[in-house]
Amino acid sequence: MDLLEVSNVSKTYGSGEAAVKALKKVSFSVSKGEYVAIVGESGSGKSTLLNMIGALDVPTSGKVIISGKEIFSMNDRKLTIFRRRNIGFIFQAFNLIPELTVEQNIIFPVLLDYQKPDRKYLEELLSVLNLKERRRHLPSQLSGGQQQRVAIGRALITRPSLILADEPTGNLDTQNSSEVIALLKEASRKYEQTIVMITHSRSIAQTADRVLNVSDGVLTDLGRAQDVRGTSVMRGPEWKGDCE
Amino acid sequence: MKSYLSLIPISAKVRRRQNLMTLLCIIFAVFLVTAVFSMADMALRMEQARLTEKHAREFTFQAMMDTTMGRNLFLLAGALFILILLAGVLMISGSMNSTVAQRTKFFGMMRCIGMSRQQLKRFVRLEALNWCKIAIPVGLVLGTVITWALCAVMRFVVGEEFAMIPLFGISPIGMISGIVMGLVTVLLAARAPARQAAKVSPMAAVSGNTENKSRTWHAVRTGRFPIEISLGAHHAKSARKNLFLMTGSFALSIILFLTFSVLLDFVGYLLPQSAAAADITITDEAGVTGINCISPETIETIRGMDGVKNIFGRRSLFEVPAELGKEGLPQVVDLISFDDFDLDALKKDGRLKKGSDLSKVYGNNGSVLVISDPEAPLHMGDTIQVNGEPLTVAGMLKYDLFSEDGLSQGRVSIITSGETFAWLTGITDYSLVMVQTAGDVTDEDVAAISGVLEEGITLKDGRELRTSGTYTAFVLCVYGFLSIIALVTLLNIMNSISMSVSARSRQYGAMRAVGMDDRQVTGMIAAEAVTYALSGCAIGCIVGLAASRMLYNLLIDGRFPYAVWAPPVSRLLIVLSFVAAATLAAIYAPAKRIRNMTITATINEL
Repeated sequence: MDLLEVSNVSKTYGSGEAAVKALKKVSFSVSKGEYVAIVGESGSGKSTLLNMIGALDVPTSGKVIISGKEIFSMNDRKLTIFRRRNIGFIFQAFNLIPELTVEQNIIFPVLLDYQKPDRKYLEELLSVLNLKERRRHLPSQLSGGQQQRVAIGRALITRPSLILADEPTGNLDTQNSSEVIALLKEASRKYEQTIVMITHSRSIAQTADRVLNVSDGVLTDLGRAQDVRGTSVMRGPEWKGDCE
Repeated sequence: MKSYLSLIPISAKVRRRQNLMTLLCIIFAVFLVTAVFSMADMALRMEQARLTEKHAREFTFQAMMDTTMGRNLFLLAGALFILILLAGVLMISGSMNSTVAQRTKFFGMMRCIGMSRQQLKRFVRLEALNWCKIAIPVGLVLGTVITWALCAVMRFVVGEEFAMIPLFGISPIGMISGIVMGLVTVLLAARAPARQAAKVSPMAAVSGNTENKSRTWHAVRTGRFPIEISLGAHHAKSARKNLFLMTGSFALSIILFLTFSVLLDFVGYLLPQSAAAADITITDEAGVTGINCISPETIETIRGMDGVKNIFGRRSLFEVPAELGKEGLPQVVDLISFDDFDLDALKKDGRLKKGSDLSKVYGNNGSVLVISDPEAPLHMGDTIQVNGEPLTVAGMLKYDLFSEDGLSQGRVSIITSGETFAWLTGITDYSLVMVQTAGDVTDEDVAAISGVLEEGITLKDGRELRTSGTYTAFVLCVYGFLSIIALVTLLNIMNSISMSVSARSRQYGAMRAVGMDDRQVTGMIAAEAVTYALSGCAIGCIVGLAASRMLYNLLIDGRFPYAVWAPPVSRLLIVLSFVAAATLAAIYAPAKRIRNMTITATINEL
C-alpha cells in the first residue's frame, strides 16, 4: 500500500523571463515502511521536492497524497495539525529550540498538540538515541551528533507515518553520520515508519531501499539501491562525506 | 561603482523593508523637533505682533528673545530637544543594532574580501546618514504642516489671546533644529552599531551568523502553561537587558503620564474655569457684594441688550440667626442665593460633593446647599432652622467658593435658590449681577449696559482678565506632551518587539516546520509582549502613583489647603488601556510577518 503519492508536482519560482522551473511534473510513490533516498546535484530541486512533500511549500501544480489525504486541499490550520501529527522532520541544521532541554525538545510537537507525552515511549526513545544521561541538557551543551539525535527523537515522538530528512548528516563527521543513519533506520524499522531522505553521501544512499535521482527538476527512479551502485549517478562528482 | 561606498544606496534599496523602522524613527525625531521649535517661533511672532500693536513700535526678533517669554519658550523647546534626542538615539540605535546583527554574515564577507575595520565603521555610519536624505525632508514637511494645523487650532478654536498667531509661517529656527536633530541623532545612534559591525570576524562569512554568541543557560519551565506561552514568556525573561529596557519603556510612559497629568490638576486650581465665570460684574459703587441694591428689572433690561449671552445674579445676607441643631456650632449663617444658571454651573464644574441632590434646591422646596467645613460638620439630610424656618441640607460644596484658600474658617455659608432666598428674607434685589458676553460683544455694548445702571451701581469689565485661552493653551501643551510620550513609547515598544521577533525568525521557522500553528505563533509573541507589559505596568503604577502624589503635594497641597490627593483611577485606567492597545499593536505586525514567512526560507539557513 502506498503511503505517499506524488503526482505531476511542478514548482516554478518567479515569472516571465525570470521564471525558474525547480520541479517539472514529478511523480512517484512510496510504500509504507519503505526507506527512500533522494540524490542529485546541488540546485537540482531535491530540497524543493522534500519541502512540497512536507507541506512546507506549495507546488505550482500537482498533488501530494499522504495516507490517502490530499494535503494541499486542507486549509492552513488543518495542514499544520496534519504535519504535526503525521510528518517528522529532520533538518541539516538540526533546528532545535535553544531554550528547551533535550527532553523538552523531543516532546515539543506533542506539547504543541496540548497532549501529555507517552512517558514510556519517551524513555524508550531516549534510550534508543542514547540521550538518557543528557535529557536535562540544553542544545548548546551538546555535540552536533547529539543534537541531531535529539532532532531524530523530535521527529519520532508523534509516531509519524512519514519521516522527511534533508541531509541529516550534512553537518556531522563520518562517525556521527553512520551512527545517526543507523539510529534512524533502526527507529523507523521498529516503529514501521516511511523515510524519505535527501543525501549527498553515496554510502548513505546505498543503505536505502530505493534511490530517486533529481536532475534539473526532473525525477528518475533509479530502483533498488543495490542495483544502482555502478551507475553513473552514483559515481558523480557531487558525492561527498562517504562513510565507506 | 566608484568606491566601496557606492554599495550603500544599493544596499539601502535592497533592505528597504528592514530599514523602515529606523527611517520612521528619524522622521519622527525630525518632525517633533521641527514642530516644537516652529511652534515656539510662531508663539514669539504672535507676542511680537501683539507688542507692536500695543506699543505702536517695532520689536525685533532679538528683542523678543530677550523677553522672559522668549527665553522661557526656547528653554522649554531646548529641554524637549534633549528629551527627543535621547529618545531618538535610543530608538534608532536599537533598530540599527538589530539590522547590523542580522547582517553579521555580510559584514564578515566584507572583512573577508579586504574591508578594514575602519572602512566598515565608515560604511555603517554613512549608511545611516544615507537614510537622512529621505527622513529629514519628510520630517521637516510633516513638522511644518503640523505647526500650521496647531496654529490654526490655536487661532480659531482657542482664540482670545492666540487670535494673532500666524497661520502659514515657515520657521527657519524650526527647520534648522530639525536638520540638526536628524544628523546628530543618526551620528550618535550609529556609533554603537558601527563598532559592533567592525568587531565582526571574517570567520562569520564562512561559519555563518554568530547568533549563538549569547547562549541560553536556563531551560524553559513547561507544564504550567501551554508550551507557546511558556516559550514566549521565557523569551522576554531570558534577555535581561532587553527585559530591563522594555519594562522601562512601559513603566516610563505610565510614570510620565501620571506625573504630567498632575499639571492638569495644578492649572485647574491655578486658573479655575467655571461655567459661571463672568466677563462683567455689576455691584454697588463701593464694590461690596453684600448690599442688595440691583433690582430684578435691571437684570431683565440687560438680558435683552446686545452682546449679552447670559446674565444671572446673587443676593446675600450675612449673619442671619440660625439653629444648626448641633452643639458648638455658630448660631448665625451667611445666606447667598444662586440663580438657576449659577446652580447648574456648580454641578458642571464638579464642585458638589458626592451624594448631593441639586434638583431639590431649585425653586422653593426648603432645600439648600451648605459649604462643607471640618469645623462645621453638617451632613446631607440634616435639618437646620434659619429665620425660624426649617431647611434641609440637600447637598454640600467641596470647598468655600468665597474665600481665597477655599477654607471657610468656621463660618457656615448656605446657598439657596433665588426663590428660597426671597421666601426666607423677603429680599428680591441682587447684590451681585454677572454677565457673560457673546463673542461679538463690542465696547459700545458694554458702555450701553453701564448706561442703564441706576445711580450708586457700578460695572466692572473683566473681559481682558479671561484665563480660558491660557488655560486651554496650557492644557493643549500638556496633552501634546503626553501624546508625544505616548507616541514615542508606542514606537519604541513596537520596534523592540519587532526586533526581538526578527532575531528569532529562524527559530520560529523551525517551530512552524515541526507543527506550530499560526495561533500558537501569535500566542508566543503575545506572551513575550505581555510579559514586558505586565512588569512595566507593575513598576509604572507603583512609581507613577508615588510620583503623582509627591508632585501633587509639592505643587498643589501647599497652595490650596482644601485640595486632597486621591489615586487618579480614571487616568490610570486610561494609561493602562493605552499600554494594552500599544501591546496589541506591537504584537500584530511581527506575528503577521512570521505567519506569512515561508518556512523553507529560514529552516536550512545557516
